[in-house]
Amino acid sequence: MQKFWPISLAIFSILGMRFTVAQTAPPRNPVGNSASTVKAGRELFNQTCTACHGMDGGEGERAPALVGERRFFRLSESALYDVIKHGIPGTAMPAFGMPDDDIWKIVVFIRAMRSSASEIDVAGDVAHGKEVFSGKGGCAKCHMLDGKGGTIGPDLSNIGAQITLKRLKESLSEEGEIPRGYLPIKVVTKKGEQVEGVAKNIDGFSVQVLDYQNKLHLFDRQELRSLEESKTSLMPHNYDKVLTPQEYQDLLAMLSRQVTLQLHKKAEGEGEVGR
Amino acid sequence: MKKLLLFLLMMSFPGALSSQITDQQLLQQPGDDWLHYNGSYNSQRNSQLNQISSSNVGSLVSKWAFHVASGAPMQSVPVVVNGVMYFTQPNSLYAIDGRSGRLIWEYHHPLAKVKDREGPQRGAAVYKDRVYFTTTDDYLFALNASTGNVVFQVKIAETDEGFSSPPAPFIAKGKVIVGVAPGDRGLNGFLEAYDADTGTKLWHWDTIPKPGEPGSETWPGDSWKHAGGATWMTGSYDPELNLYFLGLGNPSPDFNGDVRMGDNLYTECMVALDLDTGKLKWYFQFTPHDTMDWDGAETPVLVDTLFEGKQRKLLVQADRNGFYYVLDRETGKFLHGVPFVKQLNWASGLTPEGRPIRVPGIEPSLKGTKICPSSIGAANWMSPAYNPDTKLFYVVALEGCGLATKNTETFRPGGFQYRAGGDVLLRDSSWKVYVRALELTTGKLVWEQERVGSMGLGGGLLSTRGGVIFSGELNGEFVALNAKSGRPIWHFNTGEPINAQPITYMAAGKQYVAIATNTTVFGFALFEPEKADDK
Repeated sequence: MQKFWPISLAIFSILGMRFTVAQTAPPRNPVGNSASTVKAGRELFNQTCTACHGMDGGEGERAPALVGERRFFRLSESALYDVIKHGIPGTAMPAFGMPDDDIWKIVVFIRAMRSSASEIDVAGDVAHGKEVFSGKGGCAKCHMLDGKGGTIGPDLSNIGAQITLKRLKESLSEEGEIPRGYLPIKVVTKKGEQVEGVAKNIDGFSVQVLDYQNKLHLFDRQELRSLEESKTSLMPHNYDKVLTPQEYQDLLAMLSRQVTLQLHKKAEGEGEVGR
Repeated sequence: MKKLLLFLLMMSFPGALSSQITDQQLLQQPGDDWLHYNGSYNSQRNSQLNQISSSNVGSLVSKWAFHVASGAPMQSVPVVVNGVMYFTQPNSLYAIDGRSGRLIWEYHHPLAKVKDREGPQRGAAVYKDRVYFTTTDDYLFALNASTGNVVFQVKIAETDEGFSSPPAPFIAKGKVIVGVAPGDRGLNGFLEAYDADTGTKLWHWDTIPKPGEPGSETWPGDSWKHAGGATWMTGSYDPELNLYFLGLGNPSPDFNGDVRMGDNLYTECMVALDLDTGKLKWYFQFTPHDTMDWDGAETPVLVDTLFEGKQRKLLVQADRNGFYYVLDRETGKFLHGVPFVKQLNWASGLTPEGRPIRVPGIEPSLKGTKICPSSIGAANWMSPAYNPDTKLFYVVALEGCGLATKNTETFRPGGFQYRAGGDVLLRDSSWKVYVRALELTTGKLVWEQERVGSMGLGGGLLSTRGGVIFSGELNGEFVALNAKSGRPIWHFNTGEPINAQPITYMAAGKQYVAIATNTTVFGFALFEPEKADDK
């Protein structure tokens, strides 16, 4: 029994070391999250990181874009800090020798870019934004806010918590992919019935259509004579042009504040240091 | 230009109706649609459909399956409107295509706290162009039935105190009735009615009377404050009498009655409330001063028929305490009662008023007392069914006993269990689960089919005009029984436990039967070969 004692001790020591490592607190952000920190972080980022990640981290040629959706995204402050401080072995991402506070400012900027629209204090007249929504913008014809409005488009009651400000602006001003469940579609049955609306779901065998009168139609594709998918969304993407700059800004400010519940972003491997 | 035309098209039907469920439709017996938790206001769960019958059910096949990722084992009963099926998981509602099982939309209610995830959720309700459900953190939601957009949400109870809301909402005459399950946590139950259009609260009824109110004399001292009487289930409704019928939950603490000597009204009562006002019209108590957690929450089934030579409006219930009851639902008068299980030792019978004649000494003790049925009960929340063609009442029955003890646990605020005892389930060879067919007015056993290998009650029953009873077993078998003989005539192994009740509906000329297992909803229809290539 006695002779095994040193081995036991060794195992105990290893366990003890592991325990010590696990107990190390993650590095904490000492610079805060204020707008001025974000601004300072942006300047540092665009001086230091753009060669690989592109301006504002949006279009990297030699490294991944830092906005958008990716598996194994580093989301937490400590995970971002770690990767700037220590680099990623085996990649072009170096360890940066800049002062810690500057690293933290870049971290704060990256997180601000990715944060939901509601986390940013978007300037504008919210009450007027609501008027634009239901009036000149015509948004309420298709979209709901707090139980009121149209149903053919997505409910926007929680949109501020769901997407980034960048994505919100793109939705209002640029043509893009049509989201699942909103593909405009026209079907004609073999009996000659014609239904137009959006496909809530579609596969090789069936299609479920919400028509413009808020009525659902369920089809087996064998029953259809034709099925025509639209290439463009029902959503106009020219609000930056048809609205005055003030109206557009007020609409943005209002939409960014639509939050019923803050959602928690998650990514696989979050918190892991990547080494 | 195209968008402008489309826009004009959309605007040209400002008043166009969606799939509107009217009050008139809600009054119908289940046919093409399945509009209520129990199919119709009378809760007979008897569909008018007969495309699937006892002679062809052998060729029933699974047409689709819809898997729900994670979550609690499903106890949800779907409702179906024009082929669109709505069903719930705790805090989620799904709309799927009843023909293909394809998702149309889903709504997920995020919880602020993990603790709020407690409790089951048993289904949705539909009215006009909306679908309603409640969440484990006690919100009543009204969603747009075509899109899942939230129309309103109302907080109905304080989750931190320990409330949750398992039942499918009930809807009649524009009123949504919701219930809560303070369950076995020493909280008092209530029912509330909300305006289906606006979400405005219309009335509130407490299941436990306050001091000075009728019935308060059945609670000594302050015992009424932590008294139970949960409203676990969705009730039944008689439109002519305008009465809502619901069986109420057990008194608290469950197993030690010493601190609440008295009948403990209105726990374990069948109550009849005026739908418009929420006022109590009558009550009938199945188990006065219960000490075995025998919630009286089993589904009340309403039948109009001859009883002892006279046409009567009956309410029948197979109670968790082991007795089958026939009541007059206009007055609550007890008409008849007999045991529907053989293992029943706590009462020697019922008085002419329907009160149990207790056997002395058969109650929880410090050392333990063998009591039959066990605390799970001879029946539970699994829905029964009634078929007017066979005049048989079908119920899932459990033969089994428990060794019951009590203790002196006291109430603690914050949603803690307040049972003051429990029972060891005596799962010996006599512990068996059956589907039993009883003669409606006498309770006489006509046939029984054992759910072989099931140690728990499993799911409830569906009756159809095709002469078939559908039955979901805890061991995963989904079974069709001949309604007249009880003989199994078809079965399908779903592969996981069934804890919900089947439904049936018609879509594009085809009758479907659907059942939720723990994680999947299955749709069945008669086999039909795929059409050959017509080229």
